[in-house]
Amino acid sequence: MSEASATEAMAATIAAARRGDKRAIARLVTVFEDARAPATIARAAVLAALVDRPLGRVVGLTGAPGVGKSTLVGALANALVDGGEPRVAVVAVDPSSPITGGALLGDRTRVRFGADDERLYFRSQASGAVTGGVARVTHQVCRLLARLFSTVIVETVGVGQGEIEIVRIADSTWLVVQPHGGDAIQFMKAGLMEVPDGFVVSKGDLGAAAGATAGALSASLRLAAPGAPARPVVVTSAFSGAGIGELAAAIAAGPRGHLGEKEPYFFERWVLDEYGRAGLRRLATLAPTTAAYLAHHGGLDGAQAAF
Amino acid sequence: MSHQLLDKSGEPTRDEPWIFRTYAGHSSPKTSNALYRAGLERGQTGLSIAFDLPTQCGYSSDAAIARPEVGKVGVPINSLDDFHVLFDGIPLDRMNTSMTINGTAMWLLALYVALARERGVPEAALRGTTQNDIVKEYLARGTYIFPPEHSLRLIAETYEYCVDKLPEWNPSNICSYHLQEAGASPVQEVGFALANAVGLLDLVKARGRIDGDAFGRCVGRLSFFVNSGIRFVEEMCKMRGFAELWDEVVSQRYGITDPKQRRFRYGVQVNSLGLTEAQPENNAWRILLETLGVTLSRKARCRALQLPAWNEALSLPRPWDQQWALRLQQVLAYETDLLEYPDLFDGSPVIASKTAAIVEGARAELERILAMGGVRAAIDAGYMKSALVRSMAGRIARIGAGEQIVVGVNRWTEALPSPLTAGGDGGMFQLDAAAVGDAIAALDATRAARSSARVAAALAALEAAAVSGANLMEPSIECALARVTTGEWADTLRKIFGEYRAQTGVDGQSLDLGAEHAGRLRARVEAFVAARGRRPRLVVGKPGLDGHSNGAEVIAVAARHAGFDVVYAGIRLSSEDIAVSAIEEDADLIGVSILSGSHLELLGQLMTALRARGGGDIPVVVGGIVPKADLATLLALGVRQVFTPSDYQLGEVIERMLDVIEAR
Repeated sequence: MSEASATEAMAATIAAARRGDKRAIARLVTVFEDARAPATIARAAVLAALVDRPLGRVVGLTGAPGVGKSTLVGALANALVDGGEPRVAVVAVDPSSPITGGALLGDRTRVRFGADDERLYFRSQASGAVTGGVARVTHQVCRLLARLFSTVIVETVGVGQGEIEIVRIADSTWLVVQPHGGDAIQFMKAGLMEVPDGFVVSKGDLGAAAGATAGALSASLRLAAPGAPARPVVVTSAFSGAGIGELAAAIAAGPRGHLGEKEPYFFERWVLDEYGRAGLRRLATLAPTTAAYLAHHGGLDGAQAAF
Repeated sequence: MSHQLLDKSGEPTRDEPWIFRTYAGHSSPKTSNALYRAGLERGQTGLSIAFDLPTQCGYSSDAAIARPEVGKVGVPINSLDDFHVLFDGIPLDRMNTSMTINGTAMWLLALYVALARERGVPEAALRGTTQNDIVKEYLARGTYIFPPEHSLRLIAETYEYCVDKLPEWNPSNICSYHLQEAGASPVQEVGFALANAVGLLDLVKARGRIDGDAFGRCVGRLSFFVNSGIRFVEEMCKMRGFAELWDEVVSQRYGITDPKQRRFRYGVQVNSLGLTEAQPENNAWRILLETLGVTLSRKARCRALQLPAWNEALSLPRPWDQQWALRLQQVLAYETDLLEYPDLFDGSPVIASKTAAIVEGARAELERILAMGGVRAAIDAGYMKSALVRSMAGRIARIGAGEQIVVGVNRWTEALPSPLTAGGDGGMFQLDAAAVGDAIAALDATRAARSSARVAAALAALEAAAVSGANLMEPSIECALARVTTGEWADTLRKIFGEYRAQTGVDGQSLDLGAEHAGRLRARVEAFVAARGRRPRLVVGKPGLDGHSNGAEVIAVAARHAGFDVVYAGIRLSSEDIAVSAIEEDADLIGVSILSGSHLELLGQLMTALRARGGGDIPVVVGGIVPKADLATLLALGVRQVFTPSDYQLGEVIERMLDVIEAR
């Protein structure tokens, strides 16, 4: 394909993605996952073509393995569009094998969207060789999807007490715990209770146990940070649907549009990955702050191309 | 001890043979009725009814998802009118009828009772079995409908109904059969099945709706449905161990003392997993040997036996193939001296030791599951499913590496052409394509003739009982009498109970592709990543209602092992679901697995669904039981590769999939 016709094809793909064509959206997501250097330029072009679109909200759902994140995310996405959100995308991250590099992405099996519901889009993503619950490319893909969808939900790999990288990306992050799970205690021990913006107690169909867990959680949040604004604790049941509407409403009323502010962090991480600490030292000599360096080069993609 | 079998008066005698069954049914109630009558005339002594997938999954024949599957792997049953045709000329009070039905078992039992009522046959005279084992559906077979809690309630309620009203009916049949088909070792097979039985009996007991005497009778009606593989000495020991452990569980856990209620009763279908597409005539010998495992030892002899046909890896059996299998049972029971002796193996130290080893392993497995909180918790945790996928992967790897010899497959593969497949039909069965039309016409006629007021009242009563927790059998029987359809009955309960999606079992699994393939594949995948900036992306799913997920799971695990990113979309999907998944995931390749014989219809639908959404360029490969005669049609539809049971080398399968991706 010649360069001109490639540009033309890309323009057609972007136009189709703006109309909501899933094939086109999926192809663009692939561009934002592309590990090769020239993809930076393509990404800059795509985002430039979408700059007129408002930046959607990015919501993180995280929690230990088996707490029911995938089932919840399906119900939540449906509830958001039913509650008036125009378009919702889900990015579900699953771990890659450290030995073979391959991944088995099984979250689709637990999500039910109408096959041709244009308002909903689901994409599985392999974590690659990183820990922290999201992939290196998750932030990139969110940059795209937040221009095409009013809400983007990122379901992280089941994380334990490790870092929760998702808070670097999301406008708000919810920690999902299950009744009797003891997850809340583990997070508290790790000093991570300050991190989430809200809490979901899943499997609310377990009745009293879920209520008790939610009560204990609220109490310990008050103890941990007396006087701080109360953070929401929502009990949900993906089976009965209880609490899902409440969670959707809280999310829809929550913050949005801050994705751009996250770029300095991701640029520094990229520099560290590509050039190591010497790269970071060099970056410090090039501009007073990373944000200033990005501004000078027209954002993340330009900065990556320039560095 | 005498070598002679003596009767109560001390006279030499011989045992009555087990019940001879043939698992059969296809196309339409009328066709299947003719099949059953012919089988009974040839000496079958019981019926074993195969239902089609829509009936098993609770859909009427005219539902969109049902259409490609109607009449394929069994008979379609939409209403009581169909049952009248299916059992025409067959005396219910003198028949022993086994129904392979699970998600909708209560419904089919209600239809059978309703049929007896309309024919004036006393309910108490009904004898037979509804398979009604939902746990193995979650684990291996896939025709579940409702979440575990509600499915288990339906099973418990059939026990509570049958214990007084149908005292000679086995309300359920704990199946270890499908666990072996899914790769279980003998120890896993016995341990998992016992955990399943304990889960059910604990539930019936905890519900407290029947008294102690009736509970004892429930225990006495619980039967098992077991598999018998080619390692027939081990299989025989497995059955002896199974019986020992069952007696231990029943007497110690439930305090049952009546020897009749303690008896371990089981039926068998011998192994299909080991039947080969290559040199299919050899399967006749495999079936014979597998039969020995469940008949030789009197102590652990089956109560009912059904044999697959030699050509099962090729297609559904023809009537002649089924007759040939039945003749094997008759020769063994009536020509040989097998039934003239007491147990042949009592006192053998080898058999005793082998049996003890299986008992010990299975008891440990049972205790492990009980310690996890029982069979339901183990399902939720994915414990058993993962163990099965791992066992299956190991088996395939051993065959691939030549460590496990399969004659005609990985050894002695050169053979003379078989005269058995030389006929005009290639030794295969051809379904009557008009069946769908007949099934739907009968359904329309039923709907036109019934009283809509009675239907509405019956469904309202069913719904009310589902909500209140009252026993659903009687409302279901009234639904049957009112000519409610299979889809209406199931939809009413879906509304109340919800639908279930089972654990996939593919998480965290690994698989040995063989060093040679693995090295070459990973190198090719790394080259692909360097060239395209991402890993090859494969979407795996099962379209249609067939839930036998082993093949799809093994391919998903193997492709991950080769370095692919594999999106596992799951089972029981519409073609549209798979098309949308592939498009949203920007797949490089779609792999679908179909074992129900509906591959032509389903692939046609999938290709149309892809083209309609602009994904016509995404290549598709299929694996399953695909007759050679269909290859050309599939390729003409645009399918790039077709994998059949003869493609047992997983590394090769994944390489051919990568070839397709690279050719894009």
